[in-house]
Amino acid sequence: MIAQLLFAVFFGLLLLGIHRKVIARIQRRPGPPVWQEILHMLKFSFKTTWVPKTASAILFVGVVLVAIGIWTAALFVVLSGGSLLILFAIYMLHKIVEHGFGLSSGSPYGKFGGVRSVISAASEIPLFVSVAAIAIFTHSLLISDIIAYQALNGPLLFTIPLAAVAMYVVLLSKMPFGPFSIVESKELVSGYKTEHFGLWRAGLEVCNGLKTYVLLLTFILVFIGGLPIWLILIVMVLILVTLSFVCALSPMLSPYDSVTVQTLIAGIMVAYVALLGVMS
Amino acid sequence: MNEIGGTPLFFLEFGDIVVYFTPFTLTLFILALIFTVFVLVSRPERQIDIAFGGDAFYDKVISLSELRFRRFMSIACGLACMGAMVTGDVFDFTLFVSLVGICNVGIVAAVKSRHVQNAAYQYGLVALAGTVPLFSAAAMVAATTGTLSMLELAKNAVEIPLAARALLVLGVMGEGMAPFYAAKAEMFRAPGAPYVIMCSLSSLLIFLRVAEVILLL
Repeated sequence: MIAQLLFAVFFGLLLLGIHRKVIARIQRRPGPPVWQEILHMLKFSFKTTWVPKTASAILFVGVVLVAIGIWTAALFVVLSGGSLLILFAIYMLHKIVEHGFGLSSGSPYGKFGGVRSVISAASEIPLFVSVAAIAIFTHSLLISDIIAYQALNGPLLFTIPLAAVAMYVVLLSKMPFGPFSIVESKELVSGYKTEHFGLWRAGLEVCNGLKTYVLLLTFILVFIGGLPIWLILIVMVLILVTLSFVCALSPMLSPYDSVTVQTLIAGIMVAYVALLGVMS
Repeated sequence: MNEIGGTPLFFLEFGDIVVYFTPFTLTLFILALIFTVFVLVSRPERQIDIAFGGDAFYDKVISLSELRFRRFMSIACGLACMGAMVTGDVFDFTLFVSLVGICNVGIVAAVKSRHVQNAAYQYGLVALAGTVPLFSAAAMVAATTGTLSMLELAKNAVEIPLAARALLVLGVMGEGMAPFYAAKAEMFRAPGAPYVIMCSLSSLLIFLRVAEVILLL
Protein backbone atom coordinates (compact mmCIF):
# COMPACT_ATOMS: atom_id res chain seq x y z
CA MET A 1 0.00 0.00 0.00
CA ILE A 2 2.84 2.41 0.90
CA ALA A 3 4.56 1.65 -2.42
CA GLN A 4 1.30 2.27 -4.30
CA LEU A 5 0.76 5.51 -2.38
CA LEU A 6 4.25 6.78 -3.19
CA PHE A 7 3.86 5.77 -6.83
CA ALA A 8 0.50 7.59 -7.00
CA VAL A 9 1.99 10.78 -5.51
CA PHE A 10 4.99 10.86 -7.84
CA PHE A 11 3.09 9.82 -10.96
CA GLY A 12 0.32 12.34 -10.15
CA LEU A 13 2.92 15.11 -9.82
CA LEU A 14 4.52 13.96 -13.07
CA LEU A 15 1.10 14.22 -14.74
CA LEU A 16 0.76 17.80 -13.46
CA GLY A 17 4.23 18.52 -14.86
CA ILE A 18 3.22 17.10 -18.25
CA HIS A 19 0.07 19.26 -18.05
CA ARG A 20 2.18 22.40 -17.63
CA LYS A 21 4.57 21.34 -20.40
CA VAL A 22 1.78 20.65 -22.91
CA ILE A 23 0.06 23.97 -22.15
CA ALA A 24 3.38 25.78 -22.59
CA ARG A 25 4.13 24.08 -25.93
CA ILE A 26 0.65 24.88 -27.27
CA GLN A 27 1.24 28.50 -26.28
CA ARG A 28 4.71 28.39 -27.96
CA ARG A 29 6.65 28.68 -24.71
CA PRO A 30 9.43 26.26 -23.72
CA GLY A 31 7.70 25.56 -20.40
CA PRO A 32 9.20 23.91 -17.31
CA PRO A 33 10.59 20.36 -17.36
CA VAL A 34 7.93 17.67 -16.84
CA TRP A 35 9.34 16.76 -13.41
CA GLN A 36 9.02 20.38 -12.19
CA GLU A 37 6.09 19.58 -9.84
CA ILE A 38 8.09 16.76 -8.22
CA LEU A 39 11.00 19.19 -7.73
CA HIS A 40 8.57 21.72 -6.23
CA MET A 41 7.34 19.18 -3.71
CA LEU A 42 10.89 18.17 -2.75
CA LYS A 43 12.05 21.80 -2.58
CA PHE A 44 9.18 22.85 -0.32
CA SER A 45 9.83 19.85 1.94
CA PHE A 46 13.22 21.30 2.94
CA LYS A 47 12.39 25.01 3.07
CA THR A 48 11.93 27.01 6.24
CA THR A 49 8.46 26.47 7.67
CA TRP A 50 6.41 28.46 10.14
CA VAL A 51 2.84 29.48 10.83
CA PRO A 52 1.80 33.11 10.10
CA LYS A 53 1.11 35.19 13.20
CA THR A 54 -2.46 35.94 12.11
CA ALA A 55 -3.37 32.31 11.32
CA SER A 56 -5.61 29.94 13.24
CA ALA A 57 -2.59 27.71 13.91
CA ILE A 58 -4.19 24.31 14.50
CA LEU A 59 -6.60 24.64 11.57
CA PHE A 60 -3.79 26.00 9.37
CA VAL A 61 -1.71 22.88 9.94
CA GLY A 62 -4.51 20.37 10.50
CA VAL A 63 -6.20 21.02 7.18
CA VAL A 64 -3.00 19.96 5.34
CA LEU A 65 -3.10 16.59 7.12
CA VAL A 66 -6.83 16.24 6.38
CA ALA A 67 -6.17 16.96 2.68
CA ILE A 68 -3.53 14.22 2.45
CA GLY A 69 -5.69 11.89 4.56
CA ILE A 70 -8.84 12.13 2.44
CA TRP A 71 -7.02 11.56 -0.87
CA THR A 72 -5.06 8.66 0.60
CA ALA A 73 -8.41 7.19 1.65
CA ALA A 74 -9.73 7.86 -1.87
CA LEU A 75 -6.80 5.97 -3.41
CA PHE A 76 -7.45 3.07 -1.05
CA VAL A 77 -11.16 3.05 -2.00
CA VAL A 78 -10.38 2.95 -5.73
CA LEU A 79 -7.69 0.25 -5.42
CA SER A 80 -9.90 -1.93 -3.22
CA GLY A 81 -12.89 -1.55 -5.58
CA GLY A 82 -14.94 0.24 -2.89
CA SER A 83 -18.07 2.37 -3.20
CA LEU A 84 -18.17 5.21 -5.70
CA LEU A 85 -20.31 7.09 -3.19
CA ILE A 86 -17.32 7.34 -0.80
CA LEU A 87 -15.25 8.78 -3.61
CA PHE A 88 -18.00 11.27 -4.35
CA ALA A 89 -18.04 12.27 -0.66
CA ILE A 90 -14.26 12.73 -0.60
CA TYR A 91 -14.35 14.81 -3.76
CA MET A 92 -16.97 17.10 -2.20
CA LEU A 93 -15.08 17.29 1.09
CA HIS A 94 -12.09 18.58 -0.85
CA LYS A 95 -14.09 21.82 -1.12
CA ILE A 96 -14.13 22.11 2.67
CA VAL A 97 -10.38 21.52 2.65
CA GLU A 98 -9.87 24.34 0.13
CA HIS A 99 -12.16 26.50 2.24
CA GLY A 100 -10.15 25.61 5.34
CA PHE A 101 -6.85 26.39 3.61
CA GLY A 102 -8.16 29.80 2.57
CA LEU A 103 -9.88 30.92 5.77
CA SER A 104 -7.35 29.65 8.31
CA SER A 105 -4.53 31.97 7.27
CA GLY A 106 -6.25 35.33 7.84
CA SER A 107 -4.95 36.52 4.46
CA PRO A 108 -7.51 38.22 2.19
CA TYR A 109 -6.11 36.36 -0.85
CA GLY A 110 -6.55 32.97 0.78
CA LYS A 111 -9.95 34.03 2.06
CA PHE A 112 -11.23 34.95 -1.40
CA GLY A 113 -9.87 31.67 -2.79
CA GLY A 114 -11.79 29.81 -0.08
CA VAL A 115 -14.98 31.77 -0.74
CA ARG A 116 -14.72 31.10 -4.49
CA SER A 117 -14.34 27.42 -3.69
CA VAL A 118 -17.65 27.46 -1.81
CA ILE A 119 -19.58 29.43 -4.43
CA SER A 120 -18.49 27.03 -7.19
CA ALA A 121 -20.29 24.15 -5.47
CA ALA A 122 -22.23 23.48 -8.71
CA SER A 123 -19.09 21.83 -10.13
CA GLU A 124 -19.83 18.80 -7.92
CA ILE A 125 -23.27 18.10 -9.40
CA PRO A 126 -21.95 16.53 -12.67
CA LEU A 127 -20.08 13.96 -10.55
CA PHE A 128 -23.29 13.06 -8.76
CA VAL A 129 -25.01 12.79 -12.14
CA SER A 130 -22.28 10.38 -13.33
CA VAL A 131 -22.73 8.30 -10.18
CA ALA A 132 -26.52 8.21 -10.65
CA ALA A 133 -26.25 7.22 -14.34
CA ILE A 134 -23.80 4.44 -13.48
CA ALA A 135 -26.12 3.17 -10.71
CA ILE A 136 -29.05 3.02 -13.19
CA PHE A 137 -27.10 0.70 -15.53
CA THR A 138 -24.94 -1.39 -13.23
CA HIS A 139 -27.30 -1.51 -10.17
CA SER A 140 -24.23 -1.14 -7.95
CA LEU A 141 -21.91 1.61 -6.81
CA LEU A 142 -18.99 -0.67 -5.99
CA ILE A 143 -16.11 0.01 -8.38
CA SER A 144 -15.32 -3.73 -8.48
CA ASP A 145 -18.92 -4.45 -9.65
CA ILE A 146 -18.73 -1.66 -12.25
CA ILE A 147 -15.51 -3.14 -13.67
CA ALA A 148 -17.13 -6.61 -13.76
CA TYR A 149 -20.20 -5.16 -15.54
CA GLN A 150 -17.98 -3.60 -18.20
CA ALA A 151 -16.08 -6.87 -18.71
CA LEU A 152 -19.41 -8.44 -19.71
CA ASN A 153 -21.20 -5.55 -21.44
CA GLY A 154 -18.43 -3.33 -22.82
CA PRO A 155 -17.21 0.09 -21.62
CA LEU A 156 -19.76 2.47 -20.08
CA LEU A 157 -18.09 5.20 -22.15
CA PHE A 158 -20.14 3.98 -25.14
CA THR A 159 -23.30 3.14 -23.16
CA ILE A 160 -23.64 6.47 -21.29
CA PRO A 161 -21.33 8.91 -23.12
CA LEU A 162 -22.89 12.02 -21.57
CA ALA A 163 -22.17 10.70 -18.05
CA ALA A 164 -18.53 10.30 -19.16
CA VAL A 165 -18.64 13.91 -20.42
CA ALA A 166 -19.98 14.98 -16.99
CA MET A 167 -17.07 13.24 -15.27
CA TYR A 168 -14.67 14.80 -17.78
CA VAL A 169 -16.02 18.25 -16.82
CA VAL A 170 -15.38 17.35 -13.17
CA LEU A 171 -11.76 16.49 -14.07
CA LEU A 172 -11.47 19.74 -16.01
CA SER A 173 -12.78 21.80 -13.08
CA LYS A 174 -10.01 20.38 -10.87
CA MET A 175 -7.14 20.93 -13.33
CA PRO A 176 -4.85 23.92 -12.73
CA PHE A 177 -4.84 26.72 -15.35
CA GLY A 178 -8.26 25.59 -16.61
CA PRO A 179 -11.36 27.66 -17.41
CA PHE A 180 -12.84 26.90 -13.95
CA SER A 181 -9.66 27.38 -11.86
CA ILE A 182 -11.03 30.49 -10.14
CA VAL A 183 -9.90 29.35 -6.68
CA GLU A 184 -6.24 29.90 -7.50
CA SER A 185 -6.38 32.58 -10.16
CA LYS A 186 -3.54 35.05 -10.43
CA GLU A 187 -5.43 38.10 -9.16
CA LEU A 188 -5.54 36.25 -5.81
CA VAL A 189 -1.77 35.50 -5.93
CA SER A 190 -2.18 31.72 -5.46
CA GLY A 191 -5.73 31.78 -4.08
CA TYR A 192 -6.50 29.51 -1.14
CA LYS A 193 -2.90 28.25 -0.93
CA THR A 194 -1.22 31.67 -0.91
CA GLU A 195 -0.10 31.57 2.74
CA HIS A 196 0.82 27.88 2.94
CA PHE A 197 4.53 27.58 2.29
CA GLY A 198 7.44 25.31 3.27
CA LEU A 199 6.40 21.91 4.54
CA TRP A 200 2.69 22.83 4.42
CA ARG A 201 2.95 23.61 0.69
CA ALA A 202 4.82 20.32 0.16
CA GLY A 203 1.84 18.58 1.81
CA LEU A 204 -0.49 20.43 -0.52
CA GLU A 205 1.59 19.35 -3.54
CA VAL A 206 1.36 15.72 -2.34
CA CYS A 207 -2.42 16.15 -2.09
CA ASN A 208 -2.60 17.60 -5.63
CA GLY A 209 -0.56 14.73 -7.06
CA LEU A 210 -2.75 12.14 -5.33
CA LYS A 211 -5.95 13.93 -6.38
CA THR A 212 -4.93 14.00 -10.06
CA TYR A 213 -3.93 10.33 -10.04
CA VAL A 214 -7.09 9.19 -8.22
CA LEU A 215 -9.51 11.15 -10.41
CA LEU A 216 -7.94 9.98 -13.69
CA LEU A 217 -7.74 6.38 -12.44
CA THR A 218 -11.40 6.50 -11.40
CA PHE A 219 -12.44 7.84 -14.81
CA ILE A 220 -10.63 4.98 -16.56
CA LEU A 221 -11.91 2.21 -14.25
CA VAL A 222 -15.49 3.48 -14.26
CA PHE A 223 -15.90 4.34 -17.96
CA ILE A 224 -13.39 2.10 -19.75
CA GLY A 225 -12.96 -0.81 -17.33
CA GLY A 226 -10.13 -2.86 -15.89
CA LEU A 227 -6.93 -2.58 -17.98
CA PRO A 228 -3.31 -3.67 -17.42
CA ILE A 229 -1.46 -1.10 -15.30
CA TRP A 230 0.88 -0.02 -18.13
CA LEU A 231 -2.14 0.66 -20.36
CA ILE A 232 -3.91 2.56 -17.56
CA LEU A 233 -0.88 4.85 -17.22
CA ILE A 234 -0.78 5.49 -20.99
CA VAL A 235 -4.54 6.24 -21.09
CA MET A 236 -4.09 8.57 -18.10
CA VAL A 237 -1.48 10.57 -20.02
CA LEU A 238 -3.70 10.68 -23.13
CA ILE A 239 -6.72 11.97 -21.17
CA LEU A 240 -4.47 14.49 -19.44
CA VAL A 241 -3.17 15.79 -22.78
CA THR A 242 -6.77 16.40 -23.97
CA LEU A 243 -7.44 18.28 -20.71
CA SER A 244 -4.27 20.32 -21.24
CA PHE A 245 -5.48 21.28 -24.73
CA VAL A 246 -8.78 22.54 -23.28
CA CYS A 247 -6.94 24.46 -20.55
CA ALA A 248 -4.43 25.97 -22.99
CA LEU A 249 -7.03 27.09 -25.52
CA SER A 250 -9.72 28.46 -23.22
CA PRO A 251 -9.45 31.56 -21.03
CA MET A 252 -10.07 31.41 -17.30
CA LEU A 253 -13.67 32.47 -16.73
CA SER A 254 -14.66 35.16 -14.26
CA PRO A 255 -16.11 33.74 -11.01
CA TYR A 256 -19.66 34.70 -12.07
CA ASP A 257 -19.30 33.10 -15.53
CA SER A 258 -17.60 30.02 -14.09
CA VAL A 259 -20.48 29.38 -11.68
CA THR A 260 -23.06 30.09 -14.42
CA VAL A 261 -21.43 27.69 -16.92
CA GLN A 262 -21.02 24.97 -14.29
CA THR A 263 -24.66 25.38 -13.22
CA LEU A 264 -25.83 25.12 -16.86
CA ILE A 265 -23.76 21.95 -17.39
CA ALA A 266 -25.12 20.54 -14.13
CA GLY A 267 -28.71 21.31 -15.25
CA ILE A 268 -28.22 19.54 -18.60
CA MET A 269 -26.69 16.53 -16.88
CA VAL A 270 -29.53 16.29 -14.33
CA ALA A 271 -32.05 16.33 -17.20
CA TYR A 272 -30.03 13.60 -18.97
CA VAL A 273 -30.06 11.34 -15.92
CA ALA A 274 -33.77 11.97 -15.37
CA LEU A 275 -34.32 10.88 -18.98
CA LEU A 276 -32.15 7.77 -18.45
CA GLY A 277 -34.15 6.96 -15.31
CA VAL A 278 -37.47 7.25 -17.18
CA MET A 279 -36.20 5.18 -20.15
CA SER A 280 -34.90 2.40 -17.90
CA MET B 1 -29.11 -4.68 3.63
CA ASN B 2 -28.53 -2.71 0.45
CA GLU B 3 -24.77 -1.98 0.45
CA ILE B 4 -24.79 1.49 -1.08
CA GLY B 5 -22.03 2.80 1.18
CA GLY B 6 -20.06 -0.43 1.34
CA THR B 7 -20.36 -3.48 3.60
CA PRO B 8 -21.53 -2.53 7.14
CA LEU B 9 -18.65 -2.73 9.60
CA PHE B 10 -20.36 -2.35 12.96
CA PHE B 11 -23.87 -2.15 14.47
CA LEU B 12 -24.62 -0.44 17.78
CA GLU B 13 -28.13 -1.15 19.06
CA PHE B 14 -30.07 1.12 21.42
CA GLY B 15 -33.28 -0.92 21.73
CA ASP B 16 -35.00 -0.69 18.36
CA ILE B 17 -32.79 2.23 17.28
CA VAL B 18 -29.65 1.03 15.52
CA VAL B 19 -26.55 3.08 14.81
CA TYR B 20 -24.47 1.55 12.04
CA PHE B 21 -21.12 2.22 10.45
CA THR B 22 -20.40 1.50 6.79
CA PRO B 23 -17.19 2.71 5.12
CA PHE B 24 -19.25 5.65 3.80
CA THR B 25 -20.89 6.71 7.09
CA LEU B 26 -17.66 6.03 8.99
CA THR B 27 -15.72 8.33 6.62
CA LEU B 28 -18.26 11.12 7.14
CA PHE B 29 -18.38 10.53 10.91
CA ILE B 30 -14.58 10.71 11.24
CA LEU B 31 -14.44 13.96 9.24
CA ALA B 32 -17.18 15.53 11.40
CA LEU B 33 -15.23 14.41 14.47
CA ILE B 34 -11.90 15.81 13.20
CA PHE B 35 -13.38 19.22 12.42
CA THR B 36 -15.24 19.30 15.75
CA VAL B 37 -11.92 18.71 17.50
CA PHE B 38 -10.41 21.54 15.40
CA VAL B 39 -13.20 23.86 16.60
CA LEU B 40 -12.64 22.73 20.17
CA VAL B 41 -8.89 23.29 20.30
CA SER B 42 -8.09 25.98 17.72
CA ARG B 43 -8.17 29.73 18.20
CA PRO B 44 -9.70 31.85 15.41
CA GLU B 45 -7.44 33.64 12.95
CA ARG B 46 -6.81 37.42 13.15
CA GLN B 47 -7.68 39.58 10.21
CA ILE B 48 -5.58 42.57 9.35
CA ASP B 49 -6.56 45.22 6.79
CA ILE B 50 -4.06 47.64 5.34
CA ALA B 51 -4.92 51.35 5.64
CA PHE B 52 -4.13 52.68 2.18
CA GLY B 53 -1.76 55.61 1.90
CA GLY B 54 0.45 54.75 4.86
CA ASP B 55 2.06 52.02 6.91
CA ALA B 56 -0.88 51.65 9.32
CA PHE B 57 -3.22 48.67 9.50
CA TYR B 58 -6.54 47.82 11.12
CA ASP B 59 -6.81 44.79 13.36
CA LYS B 60 -10.34 43.41 13.67
CA VAL B 61 -11.09 42.54 17.28
CA ILE B 62 -14.05 40.36 18.23
CA SER B 63 -15.23 40.05 21.82
CA LEU B 64 -14.39 36.86 23.69
CA SER B 65 -18.03 36.22 24.65
CA GLU B 66 -19.10 36.28 20.99
CA LEU B 67 -16.34 33.87 20.00
CA ARG B 68 -17.19 31.58 22.93
CA PHE B 69 -20.83 31.43 21.86
CA ARG B 70 -19.91 30.69 18.25
CA ARG B 71 -17.53 27.98 19.39
CA PHE B 72 -20.26 26.43 21.56
CA MET B 73 -22.72 26.42 18.64
CA SER B 74 -20.05 24.96 16.32
CA ILE B 75 -19.31 22.11 18.73
CA ALA B 76 -23.04 21.41 19.09
CA CYS B 77 -23.31 21.49 15.31
CA GLY B 78 -20.43 18.99 15.00
CA LEU B 79 -22.07 16.62 17.52
CA ALA B 80 -25.45 16.84 15.72
CA CYS B 81 -23.66 16.21 12.46
CA MET B 82 -21.94 13.10 13.81
CA GLY B 83 -25.32 11.81 14.96
CA ALA B 84 -26.86 12.42 11.54
CA MET B 85 -24.02 10.55 9.85
CA VAL B 86 -24.39 7.24 11.68
CA THR B 87 -28.02 6.97 12.75
CA GLY B 88 -30.04 4.13 11.26
CA ASP B 89 -33.42 5.69 12.02
CA VAL B 90 -35.20 8.10 9.66
CA PHE B 91 -36.80 10.14 12.46
CA ASP B 92 -33.50 10.49 14.32
CA PHE B 93 -31.90 11.57 11.07
CA THR B 94 -34.50 14.34 10.61
CA LEU B 95 -34.02 15.40 14.25
CA PHE B 96 -30.24 15.63 13.89
CA VAL B 97 -30.58 17.53 10.60
CA SER B 98 -32.95 20.08 12.16
CA LEU B 99 -30.49 20.44 15.06
CA VAL B 100 -27.71 21.13 12.53
CA GLY B 101 -29.96 23.87 11.07
CA ILE B 102 -30.58 25.43 14.50
CA CYS B 103 -26.85 25.41 15.33
CA ASN B 104 -26.01 26.98 11.98
CA VAL B 105 -28.51 29.78 12.67
CA GLY B 106 -26.69 30.27 15.99
CA ILE B 107 -23.26 30.38 14.35
CA VAL B 108 -24.41 32.99 11.82
CA ALA B 109 -26.57 35.02 14.24
CA ALA B 110 -23.79 35.41 16.83
CA VAL B 111 -21.89 37.88 14.64
CA LYS B 112 -22.67 41.44 15.76
CA SER B 113 -23.26 43.03 12.38
CA ARG B 114 -26.52 44.29 10.90
CA HIS B 115 -25.98 42.52 7.54
CA VAL B 116 -25.09 39.23 9.19
CA GLN B 117 -28.10 39.48 11.52
CA ASN B 118 -30.35 40.02 8.49
CA ALA B 119 -28.84 36.98 6.79
CA ALA B 120 -29.29 34.92 9.98
CA TYR B 121 -32.95 35.97 10.17
CA GLN B 122 -33.57 34.98 6.55
CA TYR B 123 -31.73 31.69 6.96
CA GLY B 124 -33.69 31.06 10.18
CA LEU B 125 -36.94 31.37 8.25
CA VAL B 126 -35.69 29.00 5.53
CA ALA B 127 -34.47 26.46 8.13
CA LEU B 128 -37.77 26.73 9.99
CA ALA B 129 -39.73 26.15 6.79
CA GLY B 130 -37.37 23.26 5.97
CA THR B 131 -38.44 21.34 9.07
CA VAL B 132 -42.00 20.96 7.67
CA PRO B 133 -41.09 18.77 4.67
CA LEU B 134 -38.35 17.11 6.73
CA PHE B 135 -40.66 15.80 9.45
CA SER B 136 -43.49 15.24 6.94
CA ALA B 137 -41.19 12.84 5.10
CA ALA B 138 -40.51 10.89 8.30
CA ALA B 139 -44.24 10.82 9.08
CA MET B 140 -45.08 9.56 5.58
CA VAL B 141 -42.45 6.82 5.81
CA ALA B 142 -43.81 5.71 9.20
CA ALA B 143 -47.42 5.82 7.96
CA THR B 144 -46.80 3.80 4.79
CA THR B 145 -44.31 1.23 6.07
CA GLY B 146 -44.91 1.04 9.83
CA THR B 147 -41.22 1.45 10.61
CA LEU B 148 -38.56 4.15 10.62
CA SER B 149 -35.58 1.81 10.76
CA MET B 150 -33.36 2.25 7.69
CA LEU B 151 -32.21 -1.37 7.99
CA GLU B 152 -35.81 -2.57 7.73
CA LEU B 153 -36.68 -0.08 4.99
CA ALA B 154 -33.66 -1.17 2.94
CA LYS B 155 -35.27 -4.63 2.54
CA ASN B 156 -37.84 -2.94 0.23
CA ALA B 157 -40.73 -4.99 1.68
CA VAL B 158 -43.08 -2.01 1.21
CA GLU B 159 -42.75 0.63 -1.50
CA ILE B 160 -41.90 4.07 -0.06
CA PRO B 161 -43.78 6.94 -1.76
CA LEU B 162 -41.67 9.07 -4.07
CA ALA B 163 -43.16 12.13 -2.34
CA ALA B 164 -41.60 11.06 0.99
CA ARG B 165 -38.14 10.90 -0.59
CA ALA B 166 -38.66 14.23 -2.35
CA LEU B 167 -39.79 15.89 0.90
CA LEU B 168 -36.76 14.49 2.74
CA VAL B 169 -34.41 16.00 0.16
CA LEU B 170 -36.34 19.29 0.21
CA GLY B 171 -36.09 19.45 4.01
CA VAL B 172 -32.35 18.81 3.97
CA MET B 173 -31.92 21.48 1.30
CA GLY B 174 -33.71 23.96 3.56
CA GLU B 175 -31.51 23.13 6.56
CA GLY B 176 -28.31 22.96 4.51
CA MET B 177 -28.49 26.45 3.02
CA ALA B 178 -26.28 27.98 5.75
CA PRO B 179 -23.09 28.47 3.65
CA PHE B 180 -24.98 30.58 1.11
CA TYR B 181 -26.28 32.88 3.84
CA ALA B 182 -22.82 33.05 5.43
CA ALA B 183 -21.44 34.02 2.00
CA LYS B 184 -24.30 36.48 1.42
CA ALA B 185 -23.48 38.31 4.65
CA GLU B 186 -19.75 38.09 3.88
CA MET B 187 -19.15 36.42 7.23
CA PHE B 188 -15.70 35.50 5.94
CA ARG B 189 -14.68 39.09 6.61
CA ALA B 190 -15.15 38.50 10.34
CA PRO B 191 -12.58 36.35 12.20
CA GLY B 192 -13.75 32.87 13.13
CA ALA B 193 -12.59 30.49 10.38
CA PRO B 194 -13.18 27.22 12.31
CA TYR B 195 -16.81 28.19 12.98
CA VAL B 196 -17.63 29.25 9.41
CA ILE B 197 -16.05 26.02 8.16
CA MET B 198 -18.30 24.04 10.49
CA CYS B 199 -21.30 25.73 8.80
CA SER B 200 -20.10 24.57 5.38
CA LEU B 201 -18.98 21.14 6.54
CA SER B 202 -22.22 20.27 8.34
CA SER B 203 -24.32 21.33 5.34
CA LEU B 204 -22.18 19.28 2.98
CA LEU B 205 -22.25 16.22 5.23
CA ILE B 206 -26.03 16.18 5.59
CA PHE B 207 -26.38 16.47 1.78
CA LEU B 208 -24.04 13.49 1.39
CA ARG B 209 -25.87 11.41 4.00
CA VAL B 210 -29.30 12.15 2.54
CA ALA B 211 -28.03 10.93 -0.85
CA GLU B 212 -27.19 7.59 0.79
CA VAL B 213 -30.51 7.48 2.69
CA ILE B 214 -32.51 8.11 -0.49
CA LEU B 215 -30.62 5.39 -2.39
CA LEU B 216 -31.06 3.04 0.57
CA LEU B 217 -34.84 3.47 0.96
